[in-house]
Amino acid sequence: MTAINCPTPASLQEYLWKHELPNRRQKNPQPPSPEKIIRYGAIIGSVMQCHSSMGRAMEQARQHIVNLEEAGGSAASGTVILADTLIHSKGRFARTWHAPPGGLWGCIILADTFMPRARTLLPLALGVACCEAVRDLGAKKACVRWVNDVLVSGQKIGGFLVESFRSPRYGEGYHLLGFGININNNCFPETLANMAVSLSHTLGKPVNLHDFTLSFLAKMTWNIGLLCYEEEQELHCDCSWKDSGNSEEQKNHLLLEQWKNLSDTLGRRVLYGYDIQKKPQYEARVTGIRPDGAIVMRLDDGNQIIEHSGELQYL
Amino acid sequence: MAEEIDFDAILGKYHSDPYDYIEICATHTGRVSFKVTEGSNVNSPSGEWLHIPGSPLFEITRERNPKLVTAKTNGTISSVRTELEGQFVEAGERLLTIRHPLKKKEVIEGILKEVLYLFPAPERAKYFFSLDIQSRIEKNGARTLTVKPGDEIIIMSLMKRDTPIYYTGETGVIHSVYFTPGVSVDQGQPLIGVCASDKLPLIQKIITRVKADWDKLIEPAHLEEE
Repeated sequence: MTAINCPTPASLQEYLWKHELPNRRQKNPQPPSPEKIIRYGAIIGSVMQCHSSMGRAMEQARQHIVNLEEAGGSAASGTVILADTLIHSKGRFARTWHAPPGGLWGCIILADTFMPRARTLLPLALGVACCEAVRDLGAKKACVRWVNDVLVSGQKIGGFLVESFRSPRYGEGYHLLGFGININNNCFPETLANMAVSLSHTLGKPVNLHDFTLSFLAKMTWNIGLLCYEEEQELHCDCSWKDSGNSEEQKNHLLLEQWKNLSDTLGRRVLYGYDIQKKPQYEARVTGIRPDGAIVMRLDDGNQIIEHSGELQYL
Repeated sequence: MAEEIDFDAILGKYHSDPYDYIEICATHTGRVSFKVTEGSNVNSPSGEWLHIPGSPLFEITRERNPKLVTAKTNGTISSVRTELEGQFVEAGERLLTIRHPLKKKEVIEGILKEVLYLFPAPERAKYFFSLDIQSRIEKNGARTLTVKPGDEIIIMSLMKRDTPIYYTGETGVIHSVYFTPGVSVDQGQPLIGVCASDKLPLIQKIITRVKADWDKLIEPAHLEEE
């Protein structure tokens, strides 16, 4: 069965030059040049696989890597795997993820060539790209909730997870960037009905899934490009982000700055938990985000707490 | 992994000096200002989430950015390099030493660490056992579980990025688990302690011996600090 949503590397290239680059030029008149950032992220979508249906996109990605290695090859970094529907999709902690036709479901394979900071910030790129794409279509209330959930008026429109994978034959490291964005799928299971929303419901009209896919991947190109650009900057200066004793000393990271622009997490009162559905831990107010992406919160007793992993719920 | 354990020698060492001496070094370059003197008692972080910082040890200032360094463990300051007060120091320079009174559990762990293979955390992150390992532990317990190099045993979770961690040590059973799911582990800290299955009786002997000899081992004054 042929996939309905089936963009190609050529259509993504065309979108990048016709739409993304002019937009970025307008929004970013200062250096670095948008051409450079897009060039750095241009591996995204260099190979695209489109399926009408599959089990889990992450599993498909792993199998793709294994199959290529068994044939003596290797997976192209930036490969995008898409499916019109996922049958066995799941979120973190094996939670249910409903992925019927109409949504954008898939995975990006990236070779693990990143330096530590970029690797740590990689999950932010997904949330930022989704939020940018959703806002571009008119959902101006879309915001990122730490780490990378995208919400519209408190309801989740997009969810992401990143899993690292080491290939069994050659031991190559990959990052699998899973994404699920509710576009035209307006029916949710009862358990998710109050928590999830689709883009078409938000906008009050159907969305062209093919165009949205190109927009999202173009924004992923940009944000991965930012990570690569910042790596270059880090290599050219002797200021290792990890060795620095004070976060204030560190130069602003362009991806982190964009995350701050799109997020409504800072200043919010939240419930924190590593697995918030199973074990909520404490309430606090978010006071900042560190250069490594960790969130800084103030507890009711006035003490500060820093978390590098976990989930938030707004109160 | 040690083949032979000289119990008397090890227990004698703890008997004569039941303390751990923790050297605190400059975290980065900067001008140092001490907040403690020799003999000061210091506290470790406290609170339900260990969010209340320990006692202030020193402040280090670089480019007008002061950073307060606090104690990660309780004890008494046994030495302070007062000659460095107000001086510019390099990263890694030893600044002071905390004398930490060992608890029974810490003595046991200390001895066990000499006979177990300790598998360290690759980054500061949160860790949990992989689903397969977790279900096997829940079914039969960790000490029945043999791990060998290359096994995917633990998942490292950092910023919503889950990375499988592959075991790289000697083949053996998981004797000790040093992490709690959902609690951050510092880079380099042990996640699990592994020993060859034929060493399990030896490990049990260590624990039994320390427990049996504990009252003789530690002076009454030290016990009060338990």
